[in-house]
Amino acid sequence: MTVFKTFLQVLNKYKATVIMYTVMLVAFCGLNFQTSESNINFTASKPDVLIINEGEEIGITKAFIDYLDERTNVKDIKNDEESINDALFYRDVNYIVYIKPNFRDSILDNSSNPSEQFEKYISSVDRTIIEIKTTGDYQASIADMLVKKYLNLVDIYSRTYEDEDEIIKHINETLSLEVDTELTSKVDTNTLSRVTFYYNFLSYSVLAGCVYVICLILSSFKNKEINKRTIISSMDYKKFNMKLLLSNCLFAGILWLVYVALEFVLVGSVPNGYLIIYLTNSFIFTICSVTIAFLISNLINNKNAINGIVNVVALGSSFLCGAFVPMEWLPDFALTIAHILPSYWYIKTNELLKGVEVFNSVSLEPIIINMLILIVFIIVFVILTNIVTKLKLKK
Amino acid sequence: MFLHNLKYSLKTLFKNRMLIFWTYAFPLILGTFFYLAFSNIENSEKFDVIDIAIVNNEQFNDNMVLKESFNVLGDEESDEQLFNIKYVDLEEAIKLLENDEVSGYLVVDESPKVVVKTSGTSETILKYVTEEIIQNENVLANIIEEKLNTNIIDGNINEYIENIRDDALKMLDMNSLEIRDITSKKLSYTMIEFYTLIAMTALYGGIIGMTAINQNLANMSDNGKRIAVSPTNKIKIIFSSLVSSFIIQVIGLFILFMYTIFVLKVDYGNNLLLIILLALFGSLAGLSLGMAVGTILKTNENVKIGIIISFTMLGSFLSGMMGITMKYIIDTNIPLVNKLNPVNMITDGLYSLYYYNTYNRVYFNVVSLLIFSLIMIVLSGLALRRQKYDSI
Repeated sequence: MTVFKTFLQVLNKYKATVIMYTVMLVAFCGLNFQTSESNINFTASKPDVLIINEGEEIGITKAFIDYLDERTNVKDIKNDEESINDALFYRDVNYIVYIKPNFRDSILDNSSNPSEQFEKYISSVDRTIIEIKTTGDYQASIADMLVKKYLNLVDIYSRTYEDEDEIIKHINETLSLEVDTELTSKVDTNTLSRVTFYYNFLSYSVLAGCVYVICLILSSFKNKEINKRTIISSMDYKKFNMKLLLSNCLFAGILWLVYVALEFVLVGSVPNGYLIIYLTNSFIFTICSVTIAFLISNLINNKNAINGIVNVVALGSSFLCGAFVPMEWLPDFALTIAHILPSYWYIKTNELLKGVEVFNSVSLEPIIINMLILIVFIIVFVILTNIVTKLKLKK
Repeated sequence: MFLHNLKYSLKTLFKNRMLIFWTYAFPLILGTFFYLAFSNIENSEKFDVIDIAIVNNEQFNDNMVLKESFNVLGDEESDEQLFNIKYVDLEEAIKLLENDEVSGYLVVDESPKVVVKTSGTSETILKYVTEEIIQNENVLANIIEEKLNTNIIDGNINEYIENIRDDALKMLDMNSLEIRDITSKKLSYTMIEFYTLIAMTALYGGIIGMTAINQNLANMSDNGKRIAVSPTNKIKIIFSSLVSSFIIQVIGLFILFMYTIFVLKVDYGNNLLLIILLALFGSLAGLSLGMAVGTILKTNENVKIGIIISFTMLGSFLSGMMGITMKYIIDTNIPLVNKLNPVNMITDGLYSLYYYNTYNRVYFNVVSLLIFSLIMIVLSGLALRRQKYDSI
C-alpha cells in the first residue's frame, strides 16, 4: 500500500500533463468531426464554392447561380480580395467563380449573331465571362466540371434559341436527366471512419501520456536517497517492483478506460464486432506503451531529458505512422520506416477495420496478425528492459 | 566588462544541453517529422486519373455515344484522360469494386447505371461524367428538333438530319464562351506548418534569454548573488547577457532556415530582406518574452521554462501548427486573438510574404512584433530596476 500511495502522490503532481494530452485528443476530434452526415443512399460530393457575381443577378445569371447553389456548398465570405484569397489558401473554399459583368450580355449576344459570321465575331471580342480560382484537388475538379458543363450548355443553347427564358428552360430540362446510382456498401462508413480517426489519434495521447507520466514517476522512485531508503527497508525488492509495475498498469488501464469512455461520448457507438476489435487493439497498444515507458525510464534517469524524449518518441511515431495524417497520404518511404514502430501496426489494424464489411477468416486474419506483432513488440520491450537492468546492476 | 561577460555567457549557454536541445535540435526534428508526414498530402489531393470498370455487355456496345465518349476519356495517350477503364463482365466488375480496385462501375441495361461502394469524390465524378454524356445526347436531339422546326427542308430528310447532327456536334466542340483561370501558383498550405515551426523556434529563444537573465539575478542563482555584490555596472552585465542569448537564438534560426530551405525545400517567397527582418524581430520578441518571464515572476527556473513552453505551444496551436485550419478559424472568427499572438505575427508574416505580392500585411506583422517586444522590455525593465536585498 505504501508503494501505491506514493505512486498516487507523484501521479497527482503530474496530472496537468495527462489532462493536457486528453484535451488535445478531444480538441482534435472535435475539429475533425464537424461534418457529420451518415447516409446509406448515394449523395454526391458537394465542393465548397464561392461565387462573386460582378453583374446583376437576373435571367441566365440567376439560373447559373441557382444551379451552382443546388450542386455545391456556396460559401458566404466577406467580399474583399484578401479574405477571398485566404479562404482559398486555407481550403475553406475549393473553387471561386467570378461572374464577369458581361456574362449575361455575351450569352444573349450569341442568339442575335448569325452563325455564318460567328467564328469571325468571337475572335474579335473578349469572350471571357467567368474567371476562376481553384485549389486543383478532387473537390475543385467537381466544381470545375459543373461550371464547364453549364457553360457548354449555355453556349450551345444560346446559339440555337433566341429567347432567354427558352434557353433557361432547355438547360434545366437537359440537366434534369440523371443517372441511376447504386450504393453497394450498407456499412455506415462515416461513423467507422470517425471512430478510426479517434482511435488513431488516441495512440498519440496514450503513448505520450504513459511514457511521460510513468518515466517521471519511476525516476522519482529512482532518486538516489529514496532508492537507498527503499533498499534498506524490510520490503522485498521483488515485491516492491511488482507493486510498482501493478500501479503503473493500473494507471494505464484507467487512462485507457477514460479514453474509451470518451469515444462513446464524442463519436457514439459502433456495431459490437468492430467495438471488440477496437477495444482489444487499443488495450494491447496501451500495454505496449507501458513497456516502452519502462524501457525508456531504465535507459534514462535525467528528469529534464524525459520531456525531450517523450516528445520525440510520441510525435515521431504519431507523425510517421499516420496518427495525425491518414496513412494513405503518407509518402511511401515514411511508411517503410514506420514498420519498426508499434504505432504502425496498431493504426494499420484500425484502418483495416474501417474497410471490413463482414467478419470472417479472410478479413480477420491480417488484423490478428497485426495484434500478434504488437504482442511481440511487448515481449521484446520487456526483454530489453531486463537486459538493461541487468547491465546496470553489473556496473 | 561587456565583452568579458558576453564571452562567458555564450560559453555557459552553449554548454546547457537541455537549452540547445529545445532551441536547436527539437525544431529540426519536428521539421523532419512535418516533412515526412506532409510532403505527400498535397500530391495525393491533386486530381488524378480515376480507376473505373465498365461492364462490357451487348447493350453497352450498342450505345455508340457512351462507348465513344468513354473511349476518349479513358485514352491513356491523351492529356484529357480522366479514367483508367477496365472493360470486364458483370461478375468481375462486382469483384473489382468489392476489393476497392475501382471506384465504381458502369453497367448499361435498359438505361445506364453507375454502381459505387461509398459516396465520395471520385464516385461523384464518375456519376457526373456519365450524366454529361447522356445529357449531350439530349442536347443533340433538341437542336435537331429546333432546326427541323424552323427550316424548310428540301431534298433527302435523312441526309439533312445527318448534316444538322454534324453541325451540332461541331457546336458542342467549339466554345465561344471562355473561362480564365487566375489562380495564384503558390497554394501549398503545408508551408504554414513550417512557418509555425520558425515562429515556435523564435519564441523558444525566450528560454535562452530567461536562462541568461537568471544567471544575473541574485534571487535565482549563486552566480547572480556574486554579480549583485560585485562593483560592476548591472546594466552592462544584463545587456551583454541578452546580446549573447540573441546571438545564440539567431544562429539557431539560421540553421533551421538553412535546413528547411535546402533539405526540406520550404518556399519562403523571394523577399530575402523582409524574411531576415521577420526572423530578427521574431527572435527579439522571443528574447523579450523570456526576459519578462524571467524578471517579473518569482518562481524557480523549471516553472519559468514551463510557462514559456506552454505559452509558445498555445500560440503555435492558434497559429496553425497542429492543423492549419485552426489559424484560419481564429483569423476569421476572433481576429484579435491572433493579432496579439506573437507566434502568429511571425507565421502570418511569412505566409503573406509567400502568398501575397503586396507587403502591407508583412509590415503590419513586423510592427506588431516590435510593439510586443517593447512592451515586454519595458515590463522587465520596471521589474529589474532598484532591486535590493538585505538578506536572501
